[in-house]
Amino acid sequence: MNRLKEAAADTLDTFAARVEQRTIGPCRVLLLKTPVRSVVSWRGSFMSYPDFGEGEELLQVLTVEMLDKGTLHRDRFALADVLENRGAQLDFHSDVLEVAFQGRALREDVPDVLQVLAEQVREPSFDEDEFVKAVTQYQAALHRSAESTSSQASSAFSRMLYNPAHPNYTPPTAFSLNRLDEVTVEEIRSYHAKHFGGNELVIAFVGDVDWSMVEEALQGGLGDWAKHAAHPRFEEHGNEQERGRVEVRMPDKQNVDVRIGHSIPIRRQHDDFMSLFLGTFILGGNFSARLMTKIRGEMGLTYGIRAGLHGLDKAYDGHWQVGVTLSEENVERGIEAVLAEVRQFVEEGVTDDEVEDKKTTITGTYKVSLATTRGLAQRLHRTIRRGFEVDYLDRFTAEVEAVTPAQVNDAIRQYIHPDDFQVALAGILPVVEG
Amino acid sequence: MAETTYSTTEAPITHADFEFVEASGGIEAYRLMSNDLQVLLLPEAAAPVVTFMVTYRVGSRNETAGLTGATHFLEHLMFKGTERFHERHGTAIFNVLQRVGAQINATTWMDRTNYYELLPKEHLPLAVEIEADRMRGALIDADDLESERTVILNEFDRGQNEPIRNLYHAVWSAAFVAHPYHHPTIGWRSDIETVTAEGLRHFYDRYYWPDNATVSIIGDIDREEALDLVAEHFGGITKSPDPVTPRLTREPEQRGERRITVRKAGQLGAVMVAYKSPEGAHPDAEALDLLAMVLASGKNSRLFRRLTDHQLTAQISASSSRLRDPGLFYILGILAPGRTHDEVEAAIEEAIAEVQADGITEDELQRAKNQLRAQEAFERDGPFAIASQLNEAIAAGDWKLYTTFRERIEAVTTGDVQRVAQSYLVADRCTIGRYVPVNEA
Repeated sequence: MNRLKEAAADTLDTFAARVEQRTIGPCRVLLLKTPVRSVVSWRGSFMSYPDFGEGEELLQVLTVEMLDKGTLHRDRFALADVLENRGAQLDFHSDVLEVAFQGRALREDVPDVLQVLAEQVREPSFDEDEFVKAVTQYQAALHRSAESTSSQASSAFSRMLYNPAHPNYTPPTAFSLNRLDEVTVEEIRSYHAKHFGGNELVIAFVGDVDWSMVEEALQGGLGDWAKHAAHPRFEEHGNEQERGRVEVRMPDKQNVDVRIGHSIPIRRQHDDFMSLFLGTFILGGNFSARLMTKIRGEMGLTYGIRAGLHGLDKAYDGHWQVGVTLSEENVERGIEAVLAEVRQFVEEGVTDDEVEDKKTTITGTYKVSLATTRGLAQRLHRTIRRGFEVDYLDRFTAEVEAVTPAQVNDAIRQYIHPDDFQVALAGILPVVEG
Repeated sequence: MAETTYSTTEAPITHADFEFVEASGGIEAYRLMSNDLQVLLLPEAAAPVVTFMVTYRVGSRNETAGLTGATHFLEHLMFKGTERFHERHGTAIFNVLQRVGAQINATTWMDRTNYYELLPKEHLPLAVEIEADRMRGALIDADDLESERTVILNEFDRGQNEPIRNLYHAVWSAAFVAHPYHHPTIGWRSDIETVTAEGLRHFYDRYYWPDNATVSIIGDIDREEALDLVAEHFGGITKSPDPVTPRLTREPEQRGERRITVRKAGQLGAVMVAYKSPEGAHPDAEALDLLAMVLASGKNSRLFRRLTDHQLTAQISASSSRLRDPGLFYILGILAPGRTHDEVEAAIEEAIAEVQADGITEDELQRAKNQLRAQEAFERDGPFAIASQLNEAIAAGDWKLYTTFRERIEAVTTGDVQRVAQSYLVADRCTIGRYVPVNEA
């Protein structure tokens, strides 16, 4: 009897049971009420499908930049006034194949903020003067990225792994700055007309929320939002050159950022994903992982080193990489030490204890990540976007637990190939003799 | 309007080892009678997680020349372990805590250092045990120090890579010539290169005691069980043998504008205009917070309209440092491409002069207050956000600065904001810094 009661309580406690879902116009809405007082967080997105081969990602970024610069009904200050007078937050960003947004507001302000959201995304005014300002802002952002060793190393690394038509490719900063000089507001208007619409629109609300505060606002604002006709156009696979090394020389940057790795031919929903994820976590997922223990803890060569799977989506491949920061005098020694550690990892594999340890880490971290409304909204949205259903959040822990050490070792050997590693560096680089 | 309710405070716990001191905003303060450790409890059962945090009232404020960066260096060595929790026994602190899914880290700032764990509630005992163990049991081993020295030098280099961080340090160093706020928290490079285990041990033995620390436990807790745990693990630690009363050099009054320029490789220039401001617990601190918001929070703020909207800056921000001792009220602008430092500096000064001459409107004040009200509710979303805010209030000298923030903000008038703009934002107590990018070409 008690067992039955416990089972019933467990079922009621699942995300599958607690998350309510409704379809409002083109929008799939998920709603999860939590005990937090007054606060509601949300996360949403729609598929926009920029054509990466045609460089449309830059158009998408600029279009998104224009969303808070005024609509057909309100200028930029009036829009900001709605948010600022309520202390509410609403941000849009270009997220590869989609346009994403997130917000946070006090419960009584949610309908007003959703009205602004709908207005911004559907009826931006694309004022010419505001467009010039948006271009200046984005120029500044590109200049800042040109000052960052981390951005420059990652961007150079992406160009070793992918062609320009792949969503994970980042063009050189100078290329984007030149392109920016040519873009017109007409192109942005046209991009908006062709790529913004209720395509696979998903929004997850979490916190002190109920349907009364979102349903009417969404119905009124987005209920009749038509879909656009753009289709996915991008390369799905990596296209690596021969093994190589690229150096981005940046004066006055004594810390050098390094990226080491290669693309991998699997996606988020692949059967081997969890095994490879767990194995990579053992190598470099957190402070107690092998790379931090060895390269930082024992050798003192770096402040930060991580290994991870990057850019994997349900629709395209991503890559496996180690990211490390090394002071000027330790660059070559650090790279050699990382390569030696990864080789040993691939050759010898992981131990049963390591697998058990990291399973507990990953499932515990997962639990902690669900402690805020923002974290929950993000998880819910990402789960749907990755092609899973809400019950995946309930299954996640069991899926991690089910992975065996043999599966981890198979995945490591199958997908990680140190002989094929590409290396990208950015910072003040010593000239290597010979 | 946001609800202002906090967790219902039930009757204080009667516990043989603790004295109940006071309660405010749902937080209860206790004193561990054996050693004067301050303990703050805030039950918040929104999720089955807990934040456990130890805040030591020591930071770069307590460092002297030759030993700058000591607090931060010790922060690193505290993770290297104790006799019980150490790599060589397979019980490295990070391993033991991350194994159970804890988010764990520590931060060092001018007035404080905090060590924290955000973890599933069933593992709270482990966090309490480890923090108690390293309060007096850190090994500060010479070999550990050597391997960590290069780690910190890499951290230092990472910071040096960032233009704005360079400017920020330069302005603080120019603004404070005698008080230790002059030193960057990470320390000067030569001190990191030369500090010894003996030097750090001496520093540790001076400041890392229960009577110089506050334990905060926030989240899904049973108050009595939480106090039991603290008593069990911290109860046996003795008080500091000597009272922890640092002797600090008082910053002499600044009598004239100071200017500093940082010339390094980069792409965009920046301007930082900083004025001496009062200590964080000063009655004018909230009016200065609101002034910062009116100046630079959101698109309707004065500096956004005047600078960013007119393409003078790519980004503009204002902040009032709320520290234990008098600090800085500063405005930081990153130049838009093609703009000059003179243009930006002049526009900032004009905006300040306007507030000084004409004050701010009631609408501006209300908007800023509304933003702070919402922000306060957002900061109660999850135990870690609460801990972070509480940490800064403890550092500024009184944890109740966190719980009473709202009512103090509500009391500020437009007249108060104009008055603080007039009395603190004055040229003689101003330090202006410029980041001038030097193009390698």
